[in-house]
Amino acid sequence: MIRIERRLTEARWLVVAVPAGSLLAAAFLSGIILALTGHDPIGTWARLLDRGFLAEGAMSATFVTATPLLLTGLAAAAAFRMQTWNIGAEGQLYLGAVGASGIGIALHDQSPVLIIPAMVIAGIVTGAAWAAIPGVLRAYTRTNEIITSLMLNYVAGLLMTYLIFDSHSYWRDLSTFTARVFPQGKYLSDSASWPSLGLAGIAIPFGFLLGMVAAAALWLIYSRTRFGFEARVIGDSRAAAHYAGIRTRRKIVAVMALSGALAGIGGASEIGDFRHVLDPRGLQQASFGYAGIVVAALARLNPFAVVIVAILLGGLSNAGFSLQGATFPAGLVGTLQGLILFCALAGELLVHYRIRFVRRAAPLARAPEKFGAA
Amino acid sequence: MEADKPPAVTMRGITKRFPGVLANDGIDFEVLRGEIHALLGENGAGKSTLSNILTGLYRPDEGEILLHGKPVSFPAPRDAIEAGVGMVHQHFRLAASFTVAENLVLGHRDAADRGLLLEPRVVEGRIADLSRRYRMPVNPRARIWQLSVGEQQRVEILKVLYRGARILILDEPTSQLTPQEAEQLFQTLRLIAAEQRTIIFISHKLEEVMAVSNRVTVLRRGKVIGTVMTGNTNTRELARMMVGREVVFTKKKEGPAQAERQVALELRRVSANGELGTPALHDINLQVHAGEIVGVAGVAGNGQRELAEVITGLRRRTAGSVIVTGRQIRGGDPLEAIRRGVAYIPDDRLGTGVAPSLSVAENLVLKAFRRPPISTQGLLHPGRIRTNAVDLMQRFSIGASSPQVPARQLSGGNIQKVLLARELSSRPLLLVASSPTSGLDVGATDIVRGLLLETAGRGVGILLISEDLDEILALADRIAVLYDGRIRGVVERQDAHVEELGLMMAGAA
Amino acid sequence: MNNTILVVIAASAISYGTPLLFAALGELLAERSGVLNLGVEGMMLMGAVSGFWAVQTIGGPGWVVLLVAVLVAALVAAATSLIHAVLTISLRASQIVSGLALTIFAGASGLSSYVGHVASLGGQPARHEFAAIDVLGLKDLPIIGPILLHQNALTYLSWALVAVALFYLYRTRPGLHLRAVGESPATADAMGVNVTVYRYVHVMLGGALAGIGGAFFSLAITPGWLDGMTSGAGWIAIALVIFAFWRPELALVGAYLFGAFSSLGFTLQTRQVHLPPEVFSSLPYLMTIVVLVLVSTGWARQRLGAPASLGVPYVREER
Repeated sequence: MIRIERRLTEARWLVVAVPAGSLLAAAFLSGIILALTGHDPIGTWARLLDRGFLAEGAMSATFVTATPLLLTGLAAAAAFRMQTWNIGAEGQLYLGAVGASGIGIALHDQSPVLIIPAMVIAGIVTGAAWAAIPGVLRAYTRTNEIITSLMLNYVAGLLMTYLIFDSHSYWRDLSTFTARVFPQGKYLSDSASWPSLGLAGIAIPFGFLLGMVAAAALWLIYSRTRFGFEARVIGDSRAAAHYAGIRTRRKIVAVMALSGALAGIGGASEIGDFRHVLDPRGLQQASFGYAGIVVAALARLNPFAVVIVAILLGGLSNAGFSLQGATFPAGLVGTLQGLILFCALAGELLVHYRIRFVRRAAPLARAPEKFGAA
Repeated sequence: MEADKPPAVTMRGITKRFPGVLANDGIDFEVLRGEIHALLGENGAGKSTLSNILTGLYRPDEGEILLHGKPVSFPAPRDAIEAGVGMVHQHFRLAASFTVAENLVLGHRDAADRGLLLEPRVVEGRIADLSRRYRMPVNPRARIWQLSVGEQQRVEILKVLYRGARILILDEPTSQLTPQEAEQLFQTLRLIAAEQRTIIFISHKLEEVMAVSNRVTVLRRGKVIGTVMTGNTNTRELARMMVGREVVFTKKKEGPAQAERQVALELRRVSANGELGTPALHDINLQVHAGEIVGVAGVAGNGQRELAEVITGLRRRTAGSVIVTGRQIRGGDPLEAIRRGVAYIPDDRLGTGVAPSLSVAENLVLKAFRRPPISTQGLLHPGRIRTNAVDLMQRFSIGASSPQVPARQLSGGNIQKVLLARELSSRPLLLVASSPTSGLDVGATDIVRGLLLETAGRGVGILLISEDLDEILALADRIAVLYDGRIRGVVERQDAHVEELGLMMAGAA
Repeated sequence: MNNTILVVIAASAISYGTPLLFAALGELLAERSGVLNLGVEGMMLMGAVSGFWAVQTIGGPGWVVLLVAVLVAALVAAATSLIHAVLTISLRASQIVSGLALTIFAGASGLSSYVGHVASLGGQPARHEFAAIDVLGLKDLPIIGPILLHQNALTYLSWALVAVALFYLYRTRPGLHLRAVGESPATADAMGVNVTVYRYVHVMLGGALAGIGGAFFSLAITPGWLDGMTSGAGWIAIALVIFAFWRPELALVGAYLFGAFSSLGFTLQTRQVHLPPEVFSSLPYLMTIVVLVLVSTGWARQRLGAPASLGVPYVREER
């Protein structure tokens, strides 16, 4: 018989062991799926690891993929910490990309010193504004933010599509004949390209550095400020927060905006570090926003752990994109991410509960007898 | 009682451990047929655990159970029900949005009533029979949330009888009843016992144990201290068995208390709505003077929570004014009330009074975190949070292994001390305390009561809202009775009679 | 007359609303047991891909193949929901995170897409599809003909299901137990109702119905397979349950309301109404938000409908 008992104290070592174990368990489970569908699990995994982390230039590409994951992971962590379920990082990232590319186009002849901060700020503002919509609806009309923030992801995707494919918008390139027939966005000038930091042969994008700063800031906010304290009380118990005189409504809007701002930086970095053009299809295929939820959950909402997990999952996604083809079917990356999250959730039980295998109490092992049956 | 037949219930060597707690420690317990047997003990003595084992909700780690001389085991509650054991829980196990009839047939199966389809008419007929037989009138079509607490308890008892229980367990059944309702309950129980059914009556109140039971078994810290015939004992002896020492509860000294006549709180014609938007308080007028304890007596659900929340700003009023030390407060803003010196001990400790996952230290600054020295310019000072915690934990002797442990790991008494430490250290002018000792053991109860009296002695006005009439009689200078959202009367403590208060609590006077 | 725009919109609203109705009924049953499952979108896609796979693979008369395909879709989606059931009911994981994980796992860039690629289902023409049935030859009856008497078999099945669900919830003993488990699991448990079993069964029932809803996309609305072809219908179904106050008959009304929003763009475009397609496409999402806001503002009413223990794991032996 299995018994589940609450642990009196969280087991510290499990905090590291659970995410690591989750990755391994997910690798094993995905191996079963691969084998069932006629693929070679070990070979697939070997190529995945090679393309993600080991091959020439793999780490640089991984960091490019890890950058938006880091920021959407932080976005999810920031909101989930307060039990506010912002599932809209996906759309907020799109909006960040729209804002940053718009500013980038407008300031194309300016110097990088002006243009890059402007792009970051534009990403923050548009991402925060988009996230504030479900935030306000949650705070002032008690509308479930999970569904509203998610619905807005689809709307944001359609908005991007409209800007590039179905309108003559500011973002669309109409300068050549081919561009008019095959719609695409305006490319940003070179001075809008974000720099990267070379470290041991790995190019670390500026956006990733921003993300690390944001992680530290987020940790500071939650552990050292009044704002963060209030958010934690709200996350633990709305009733206790109300009782303590904390203005929960404003805080919900603020945390949603903070979360959206982080995702918005992610969108800006996609433009500045990588794409240099508003690319609706590419951004939607990547689904960084949803993957950010996996990152945050695996990091147990700890901002510093988000940095590490983002690199790990960034490697997987990066390898997934570059390997995609007949022997590496699409959908594997999402499947893998889902499996990792399932395993992490199951592992969470181990952190909070002790599972004991006990024999049934001996004297009670007899068959139940009904009163009056004999 | 039929002593020659095998006992209705025999429990031998029952042991049950929870993480960190030995709830039952080798308990031997025997109840005869047709007997009303009281199980007496403080909160935390192991009474509830023992009864949950007997009803199949928990499984014992060791020990055996015999019903009418035959060994049984209950892997699940259903097995206990089928063996004829029924429990009336202190916190009723009723689905509030269901009708009485629906609650009665829930999970039920017997020959007459086990089909796939619900047969409301058959069920209603059977309910009518039962309520006539035991003189417990109830409308089978009423929804539970529409019923008073007393009526809900009737439904609980009927539910057990409906399933043909031969052994009834009642857990603290009088805790939410008026004295008259309790007397009515005792008569019903005697009626049931007269049919050779067995009743186990769980309580920590000595007087009612003396009034209703044939025998008493006393538990202390998970062990049986002894079983005595009720006729051969008295409350003093039972109290000593229960607590292990003589108990004299802290009591307010007699005589006029209010030296200062300054008004700490004044309510003028206050009305407010309840959770569902329906009126819950009507035209409340009440004064609390500095240094005075005003008790609010009443059966739960008559507007107590709304009253506390209106004063502390958690709830908006729909009419009237709330005046704290001479100045009106706007209402609907807890922060305003906190800043004006209103402290509040809510009845929902874990969840409202403290944030369960936050540490003791953080909970101790749940309100003070806004001000220096705890925070300056929006930044917290962890060192000061810690010193504050160490200081308060010592002053209020809070039993926690460190200031960093999550509040939910503390015992009820220690959680209440955290609350009191935080609220009293803010130097309030008015304290609203809701059921401040419910669920606490004797020692913690006495400490809490002592702190309340000491606080009043320092000139703080206290509004003590409690369902425990004894507590109000022990502490309050004046007693207001709340019934159906109205104050039915205010009496000085020295003029108060239990009878008269009970009638007011039932809305009869 | 049957070509007037309102009739056309109403008829296609029912068609587009049917998958929403299936998924919402399923989610409603799961939530009534106290388990929130945010993985509806993923389960629908699993149903869509496996149903279409069955149609392309299994031989036999058309109606048999379609019947089997629907069963396959239901079973596969139920199996998918089992993951959520194990994690949230037995392992006490957060229902929100587990449901999201399910959608990521099975969703548009997850397992459903993987299966579609492995079986090369994309771009294949459907071998069989659910076609509208001309009931009693009355499809040309004014107004009600095209709306009510010219739908496919699954739509008629969904109507039967609404009736069954109503009867089940309010007239049967298991239905009463289900409501009790969602309302007050401690009460149900004390009364000998097996909370765990009820929750497992209804989460999986919810999965099966979501799967059928998904199959409706790949076998009826746009026969074929496309990654993420349900495009958010699973999420709209979850919103629909809130809109319906957890009542099957209101889910029916809501499903057709949202079905109308979904079909509006398609219908208007064929009528030469010139607006950017994105405006129509975003309509169901925006209307979902609007409707949710309207329903939520009267929050006391909302509380009356929601199962009291929704989202809370039930643990008996814990103090």
